[in-house]
Amino acid sequence: MDAVAVETAAILVPDLLGWVPLQTGGDWMFVWENRRFLLLGTAVTILLTLASVGLGFLLGLPAGAIEAYGDGRLQSVVSTVGVALRGTPIVVLIVLFFFGLPIPRQLGSIPVLDVRMSGFLAATLALGLRSAAYQSQVFRGTIQSVGEGQLKAARSLGLSKPAAIRHVVLPQALRRSVPGFQNEFTIVLKDTSVVFAIGLAELLRRGYQLFTQPGRQGAIIEVILAISLIYFVLTFTTNRLLDLLDHHYAIPGGES
Amino acid sequence: MTLLAFDGVTKHYGEELVLDAVSFELDRSEVEVIIGPSGSGKSTLLRCVNRLAEVDNGTIRFDGEPIGDTDADELRRQVGMVFQDFNLFAHRTALGNVTLGLRRVRGFSKEEARERARRELEQVGLGAQLDSYPAELSGGQKQRVGIARALAMDPELLLFDEPTSALDPELIGEVLAVMRELADDGMTMLCVTHELGFARSVADRLTFLEAGAIVERGDPERLFTDPRSDRTAEYLSRLTGEY
Amino acid sequence: MSKVPESGTSAGRAGTSAVGELPTARQALLAGLGVLFWGWLIVRWSYDRLVAPSVNVTDREPFVPAGPLEGVADALSTVATDLGALGTPIGWLAWAFETAALGVRNLPALAEGALITVQLTVVSILCGLVIAVPLAVARVYGGPVTRWTALAYTELIRGTPLLAQLFVLWFGLSLGPPVRGLPGVGGPLPSAAVVVAMIGFTINSSAYQSEYIRSALTGVDAGQLTAARAIGLGKLAGIRHVVLPQALRFAIPGWTNEFIYLIKYSSLAAFITVPELFRRARDIGADTFRFTDIYAVIAVFYLAFVLTTAAAMRHFEDRTAIPGLN
Repeated sequence: MDAVAVETAAILVPDLLGWVPLQTGGDWMFVWENRRFLLLGTAVTILLTLASVGLGFLLGLPAGAIEAYGDGRLQSVVSTVGVALRGTPIVVLIVLFFFGLPIPRQLGSIPVLDVRMSGFLAATLALGLRSAAYQSQVFRGTIQSVGEGQLKAARSLGLSKPAAIRHVVLPQALRRSVPGFQNEFTIVLKDTSVVFAIGLAELLRRGYQLFTQPGRQGAIIEVILAISLIYFVLTFTTNRLLDLLDHHYAIPGGES
Repeated sequence: MTLLAFDGVTKHYGEELVLDAVSFELDRSEVEVIIGPSGSGKSTLLRCVNRLAEVDNGTIRFDGEPIGDTDADELRRQVGMVFQDFNLFAHRTALGNVTLGLRRVRGFSKEEARERARRELEQVGLGAQLDSYPAELSGGQKQRVGIARALAMDPELLLFDEPTSALDPELIGEVLAVMRELADDGMTMLCVTHELGFARSVADRLTFLEAGAIVERGDPERLFTDPRSDRTAEYLSRLTGEY
Repeated sequence: MSKVPESGTSAGRAGTSAVGELPTARQALLAGLGVLFWGWLIVRWSYDRLVAPSVNVTDREPFVPAGPLEGVADALSTVATDLGALGTPIGWLAWAFETAALGVRNLPALAEGALITVQLTVVSILCGLVIAVPLAVARVYGGPVTRWTALAYTELIRGTPLLAQLFVLWFGLSLGPPVRGLPGVGGPLPSAAVVVAMIGFTINSSAYQSEYIRSALTGVDAGQLTAARAIGLGKLAGIRHVVLPQALRFAIPGWTNEFIYLIKYSSLAAFITVPELFRRARDIGADTFRFTDIYAVIAVFYLAFVLTTAAAMRHFEDRTAIPGLN
């Protein structure tokens, strides 16, 4: 190390120690004391994720089938709505749905979780519809990958087109969709943090509420690292569970 | 006079013995053909010469020096290799395939490299395909680019790893013609191939390798007409019977 | 060789096209609108810097007056009220014109926010690429230690929300004050918050980009590197001159997805005070109490960015295409 570098380090090091507030055990105690508060936020995050992914699946699967098989008007409408949902930032969708949809504000709160119903609905709709738009792409791709031959073989047995899609194409396509669905699931999970924008008391918002309390600025990094760890555990667990699903439903010899 | 010398070379892949105490010498300007059933260790033997594979025991000397003592990249500059699957750089034209080594390994200027590469490609009869990408060339043309790419490095020894095995029958001739020309010009060549006609008419030495060991080695004509080992006789008759 | 387990899937944020294709009839129309949009942005940015640099953002006048649109909106809503229940569709039309008028009136401020959105996205995707390439090479060709380090980095980043990462940098590490002290920040360089956001997006995006590049690297035939080494290129030189040029071409579609995600996620910089497009809209909403309308306007902005980027990247992919590679 040359002299200049040593000198620079000598100036920088105390500064660094000054603004990286990572030393006292008391701040971690603060996180621990508020564990119930943060776990309730985790519950909101999980609930919001499940509701949104579920809505996304219910709408995304038929949308994907329409994009793969439909023709004319309906397909054109579905794909245009899909482009709009996929091309708009999730935060814009959330605030648009929150301010723009006529959801009655006096629906009250979800008990225990301390979450306003109206905000929860708007967030679920925004996250769910956008997820439907992405899931439709996953399902469209896997439906098309199953191939015309399977459909033709089913039709030749006398099945109607909807029945052939339902009983022959979809079971294969759904199995192949697990990796894409897995990806989408974790994206929704991480993006639930964006409902921060409308003040819903999910995990990130609760963390923010903790460290913005007067006199708690020292615990900022501890609180954020703690909630980041929770998010990481959630995405990691989700990935592992869906890996298991993937293996469980894998068909010998079938492409995954 | 000796350019390449194997002395008791042994090599394992895991538990499996792939080269079993292989010893032989190859003189400058000689052409040696190695034949043998698949899995007999022929490709591994070639890869040990330019250290794409490392030996477990024994010594390989190149130009008198044990190859373990030279820098692997420097050794590879002096020992060219032609692959069964061509392995042409897919993102570069025929010319670009040849210039890459000239520019990055031999330090030619852009102009020098283009000029030299053009000459090499014309030499193998591809003067009209300079700007074609690998995907636009036939198998025979690809392999000729592969040879030109190796020649451009001015190697002292060329290794051929089944250079015609991936080719349609009607394309094999053009590649063998180029190899024959190289041999006539005095290039030292070590070739793994199933082309017995080439072995018989061009090679100075023929080696029959089986289960990692040299069964018989000698003048090609003698191996064909008067093999000393029954195994050689059996293998050669099976091969000639097939063709 | 030990196999490194994957905790994510091989794809990055999405396994399929980030936006998708519009019906062809609409594409030509949109191409024209895209040219108009970018033309206006560039003229606006140049005008505000070169012709009238001293005017406050909020005091700037739009190139086109909003008055006529408001007139049409007023007329339509009068008609709608007169028609009663039957007038509802006309009421919607009136709303569309009102929203357009609101948008036009605030175009100068939105253009200013859009400039930061573009800067955030372009700087972060490029800096992220610079980190992503060695990261991906480390994942594929590194020894056990580099491989695990690179894996831990990508999995930690990809396993936590972007907004939480921005909060770590801005609130947790308080990067604002030290960055503000750096030479040029706030002067020729953007303000401290913008720089911190760029750092956050760069880190985040590098992890996702490296995932796309990693899977592209594994798609390059192993014989390519063998052949490079056989002519005497070192391992790194072989990767640099033979493997990467092919892998980066394979990675373009995934990279396009990531680019588009970053355009959209750049809106999260609003929460660490960066006055980009979304925050400008929020401020306008707070001034006018017309949140829904102004958010609808910027949704169109983002769509324009996303669709023109997707089209430009398709063009780029065609331009860099090589026969036999794809």
